[in-house]
Amino acid sequence: MTRLAQTITRLCASSRRTFRNPYTWLVFPDEVNRTQWFTSPELISLYRTPVWDSLSERQRRVLSFWEAVNFYSLNIHGEKTLMEGVARVLYHGDFLDASDYLHHLLDEENKHSIYFGTFCRRYAGKIYPDRKLAFPSDRAAGEETFLLFAMALIFEEIVDVYNAVMGKDDRLDPVARRINANHHAEETRHLRFGRELVPELWRQAAHEWPSDTITRIRAHLEHYVRAVWREYYNPDAYRDASLDDPWAIQNAAWSHPNARRHRRTVSAGCIGFLVDSGVLEKEPVL
Amino acid sequence: MTWVFENVSRRPVGTREALRRWIVERRPDITSDAIDDHTPLIEGGYLESLDVADLLLFVEQLRGRSIDVDSLTPGAFRDLDTLHSTFFGDPGP
Repeated sequence: MTRLAQTITRLCASSRRTFRNPYTWLVFPDEVNRTQWFTSPELISLYRTPVWDSLSERQRRVLSFWEAVNFYSLNIHGEKTLMEGVARVLYHGDFLDASDYLHHLLDEENKHSIYFGTFCRRYAGKIYPDRKLAFPSDRAAGEETFLLFAMALIFEEIVDVYNAVMGKDDRLDPVARRINANHHAEETRHLRFGRELVPELWRQAAHEWPSDTITRIRAHLEHYVRAVWREYYNPDAYRDASLDDPWAIQNAAWSHPNARRHRRTVSAGCIGFLVDSGVLEKEPVL
Repeated sequence: MTWVFENVSRRPVGTREALRRWIVERRPDITSDAIDDHTPLIEGGYLESLDVADLLLFVEQLRGRSIDVDSLTPGAFRDLDTLHSTFFGDPGP
């Protein structure tokens, strides 16, 4: 049995052991107090920028609510893309042996979206739209599948750093804390799967791909890391938190050295892994 | 006509020119005359799907209001002329 097959067996057993009914496991109160903390202040996109310094404690807490709505919204969009891609390869020849676990992955991603979607719709009355748009692609199937799982790894590893911190943050509203803690617990399995699968797919395909394909894949992934991070700086959230000139705030926060340092710190684990695996050659400019 | 200002020279430029410059600035291998109003942006590799979110934020800032993203299709990004009429024509999405 290969290492990937052993991992799949172990992950399936873990998923079955912790299987949950999403409609009874987390009870959502009718309303929440928006002046509680919903995002750890240190993870708010404006933290340690001039705008942050100008906000009152109450404004910071209100912003933390809308940043949570943004975080859950971007998770919904990211999980939707992943579920679409996983559904495409489910029972596909190359992934036949992984099908048992892909069912769990789909089930768990779907449940996460239920939690995120319920919070956003019940307490904010909205889900922020996804500004990403997929253009038609002429990539070969193998390249498309590799990018699906490599991009999922990047997206989920960055999200997981946030989940791990906020799942243990006693300052947070209990619903927000529990959503983050659960996401972290289940994503740990998905991350394990991704860290086994992505290097395996790379080893199988990279020596067959021409050098311009490899260059294109690397450029796409570097671009993707920046695109993922852009979503954390959402002018819609700033506007809903009653901040003036939300687009200027977004630009200033994105460019601030402290924010850049934060992005590099949070991404270090996943970028280091991709560089060590040979998928990336260098750290993307963040 | 909506006017925007270049970061450096502070000369006013129109929204069409601002869009052209936004695209060119992301492609160090081309000059601004490489993109005319009808140059295919997607097929020509001047615009990638991962650029869209950034571009939409730039357009929103120029317009001072959000875009109804759900109504957009890749066709809106075909060329500069389409891009401009989609977001700065009347009515825009």
